[in-house]
Amino acid sequence: MTHAKTPHVVDARYMEPPGPFVETMEMLDKLQVGEKMLLLLFREPHPLYKVLRQNGHSYETELLPDGTFEILITR
Amino acid sequence: MQALLSFENAPPFAAPLRFFLTAPLFATLAGLLVAWEGPGLFTSRWMPGALAATHLITVGFMLQVMLGALIQILPVVAGVNLQRPLLVAQIVHAGLTAGALLLAIGFLVGAPWLLSSAALVLGVAVATFLACTARALHGIPSTSPTIRGLKLALVGLTSVVGLGVLMALALARGWALPLAALVDLHAGWGLGGWAGVLLAAMAYVVVPMFQLTPGYPTRPSWSFPVTMLGLLLLWSVAVLADQGWLVRLSQGLAAIVGIAFCGLTLRLQSKRRRARADATYRYWQLGLTASIVALLMLLVASIWPAASEIDGWTLGFGILIATGGFLPLITGMLYKIVAFLSWLHLQNFGQAKIPAPAMNKILPDIDTQRQMLVYSLALALLLAAVVFPDWLARPAGIAFAIANAWLWWNVASATRRYRQSQAEMAQKLAERLALAAMPK
Repeated sequence: MTHAKTPHVVDARYMEPPGPFVETMEMLDKLQVGEKMLLLLFREPHPLYKVLRQNGHSYETELLPDGTFEILITR
Repeated sequence: MQALLSFENAPPFAAPLRFFLTAPLFATLAGLLVAWEGPGLFTSRWMPGALAATHLITVGFMLQVMLGALIQILPVVAGVNLQRPLLVAQIVHAGLTAGALLLAIGFLVGAPWLLSSAALVLGVAVATFLACTARALHGIPSTSPTIRGLKLALVGLTSVVGLGVLMALALARGWALPLAALVDLHAGWGLGGWAGVLLAAMAYVVVPMFQLTPGYPTRPSWSFPVTMLGLLLLWSVAVLADQGWLVRLSQGLAAIVGIAFCGLTLRLQSKRRRARADATYRYWQLGLTASIVALLMLLVASIWPAASEIDGWTLGFGILIATGGFLPLITGMLYKIVAFLSWLHLQNFGQAKIPAPAMNKILPDIDTQRQMLVYSLALALLLAAVVFPDWLARPAGIAFAIANAWLWWNVASATRRYRQSQAEMAQKLAERLALAAMPK
């Protein structure tokens, strides 16, 4: 799956925990520094935010009308 | 990598577990009380036994589980941790347990000093929780409907406990207050402003996460908590101004808002991608359906006040909304929370070297499904006992006690399996460490 914001997308909206976390970390591992990835979820992943901050990644979150949180993460 | 899922400074499992293991005992006590008192308890909602049983359920069960879950779940849903969570849990749990017992005994024996003591103990326990949570949430922006809902639910908790303490002191000291109107308002704040708003705020996260449904649409998610609180404020103003029509208008509108939330959740559940219907899903179906029926009764009574004069109407509404609506919703969530937290703590304990047992191994679905069947039977008996109290009051009480004792057994068994797994994993980790330390 690709998206206008980035070709690197993890659509975790129908995934059970810890799937979203694991897949996000795996995709981040594959990206070059400065590249972006998009995580789609029906909730705000606060534990993931904490890990992203600890690892020095930045992120921006947007809430869409259908309840999807789009989290754009920069490695 | 999965070890990174651990929440740093997250509360230890012992913090919420004490609440989860105590709460079913209070619901069991409520069932035993119904069985002991028999048909007399069903005469009116003002009977001492009915008031005691109501508070064993609302304070002893509902408030216990909700505060216990919040202590653990705040880092997940809001990204904040309480400071010294174990100490907070110990104080709040002790206060709630003692306070609920004092309150129930105070109602039963009609002892003013017990009601005053209960008010003091419960007031201090909840104030402690509110102060710690407000401090943790201070400065945290409401970036999601869940965080906003959580903050507004705390306003609801303050109101319901404030009103409860006021009425307990009024009863104990003979203050002249319009108790009938205040009791309804107290129940409205408790069920709508606190439990309803909190459950909705949590549902936004846990329903899609555990039942694999679509997400809650954004606009109603933002507006449900604030609308519910606005209507409860309107209801409060109407009571203060002694405007009966405005009380009924706000009750009717609150019922419509509640029905809309339940209907939306049922619609999302109908689109779930998890084929298997587990106990949590079934409990939620029961809770949402019973809530809709109860709220329709509230709506009818707000339009046609004479309905509440019908024999058993108010009592039936109370049983339907509390034991048919909220208890199944909370129990369904409790099962998922206990299994998930056990798995999560074990996963972190294994340090990504030893895998944790699956959630279904910690709390088998067959056990929870069977308990749910017994609970459903108990609910049917309680509702039927409103119409045939002489025949069914005692069997209903016994069935309700058995169903909740079984709930306790299931939670206690999950705890035992959690500890057993932890010991086995510790042994395996030690063996690995010993192997790694051996000279090659």
